[in-house]
Amino acid sequence: MIQIQLLETALLLGLYILLAGGYALFYTLAWMWHRSSIRIAAIALYGMHGLVAAGIVFWAPLWLGWKLLLIASSLAILAIPTITLHHLERTHGTGSLSA
Amino acid sequence: MYRSQKLAVKYLAAAIALFGVMTVAGLLSAYYYINPDFLFGMLHFNIAKILHIDTLVIWLLMGFMGAIYWFLPDELGREPVGIWLAEILFYVFCAAVAVVAVVFIVVQYGGSDQASLWFINQGRKYVEAPRWAALGVVAVMVVFGYNVIGTVIASRRMTGIVAVLMVDLIPLVALYLDAFPAVTNMSQDLFWWWWLVHLWVEATWEVLIGCIMALTLMQLLGTSRKIVESWLYIEVALVLGTGILGLGHHYFWIGTPNYWLGIGGFFSALEPLPLLGMVVHAVYDAGTHHMKATNRPALYWMMTEAFGNFLGGGVWGFMITLPQINLYAHGTQWTVSHGHFAFWGAYACGVISVAYLVVQKTRNSALVNGAAWKWSFAALNLGLIGMVGALLVAGMTQSFVERATGGSTLRAFIAGQEDPWFVSGMMLRFVFGLLFTFGYAILVYDLLTLGKRSVSVVAQPVSP
Repeated sequence: MIQIQLLETALLLGLYILLAGGYALFYTLAWMWHRSSIRIAAIALYGMHGLVAAGIVFWAPLWLGWKLLLIASSLAILAIPTITLHHLERTHGTGSLSA
Repeated sequence: MYRSQKLAVKYLAAAIALFGVMTVAGLLSAYYYINPDFLFGMLHFNIAKILHIDTLVIWLLMGFMGAIYWFLPDELGREPVGIWLAEILFYVFCAAVAVVAVVFIVVQYGGSDQASLWFINQGRKYVEAPRWAALGVVAVMVVFGYNVIGTVIASRRMTGIVAVLMVDLIPLVALYLDAFPAVTNMSQDLFWWWWLVHLWVEATWEVLIGCIMALTLMQLLGTSRKIVESWLYIEVALVLGTGILGLGHHYFWIGTPNYWLGIGGFFSALEPLPLLGMVVHAVYDAGTHHMKATNRPALYWMMTEAFGNFLGGGVWGFMITLPQINLYAHGTQWTVSHGHFAFWGAYACGVISVAYLVVQKTRNSALVNGAAWKWSFAALNLGLIGMVGALLVAGMTQSFVERATGGSTLRAFIAGQEDPWFVSGMMLRFVFGLLFTFGYAILVYDLLTLGKRSVSVVAQPVSP
């Protein structure tokens, strides 16, 4: 690993999770408020998350196993908000909320 | 009010007081980095650091116990069994903490003998308290467990939350037995020590705060038992599923076999995923209640818990959890940054939320609001974010200059400590620490005077 790649890779890993959180946040807001602009923001955030994941996979000097784990995690991250919200609505016994 | 709830108020008051000791000791520790000669020959950096870290553990533990003593009688419909013993032990606990603190400050250290282990310092990070005090902590935790389990048996009543709590109390007590050093091999000692530190923090405490937040949600927002219990089971499964073997990320560099690199890295990398679900849940709950409740500070602190846990544990932790990064980052200010953020998000915010809830109930306040809590909320969170940001910069500098570039030599260590980015980071940490202390002072003022100031209590019904 070249020295500067240490910081770059670590920051990319942090950004990877931060963007996943942003996607989950906006996806939930879009689900509750039915706003297409927020839905687009959620898609954009997941797209940026995907780009960061691709950056890590193709550029970062991490072991291949970790890169495969990141790809699998990105797929899980895509599904987590949907699954969580379905379960939330089932337990709360409500339909989607509107503002 | 039950006797148990009066005891809860005392525990929470003691917790908030120790939160202050932790803050002052942290500020002192931060100042040593700016002025290493400060209190030279009187009070060393290591003592201030011990006070900072140990009071962190104790104030959170007291906060958790206060929360459980508050909710337990309502949950089981009776006074907890053996509450008189818990009342006595509260004072013993407080006296022991005070004696240990005085010994740390005045005596500081002793010889390499059993007497030092028993009466001065056990020499193990986070659990430095001398052996007599550690035995006392075990006694307090055993009585705490007896209060909970005995009450369940006596009341012949069981709820899902209490069932999870009962199961959690067993490892909570058993793991603390690991606080007593028994082996002289450092690798072996660290191996078992991490069982205590990691499994308390990332397993049993997570479950405990999950139970407390579930009970808080029911009182604060009137959320149904079915919902909170359903989520508690999911959280417990996910947290334990990733958290227990996430222990491996502490085993990377202490002389354990290589397979811990894979196990630790894999399960640690999964740890942020449940936190994402927590963010979704928090936003959903906030949306359903439009961020309105009769106790706004308690609600806001609870929401901050979800986001703080995700950012501090998830984002900050993920940066340094894979072995190839961790090789350079472990033991630097980078991990300190992660530790501060994660503890704040995962636990401290939750305890503050419960403190506000208890204050509202004890003072019969219809609506808790006002300006003070907002100032405190802003100053504490901005101070904390500023500190972890500054520590992140300092830690990255250390990892880069001292570890990656310098090869971890003594010369590289000095170069790292003298690097302008590191120095600036540590100065900024102190400045934001002052802001945090300011926020703490307002928090104390707010908690002490809530319900006594006309501005904070408005006698108007608000639907939960």
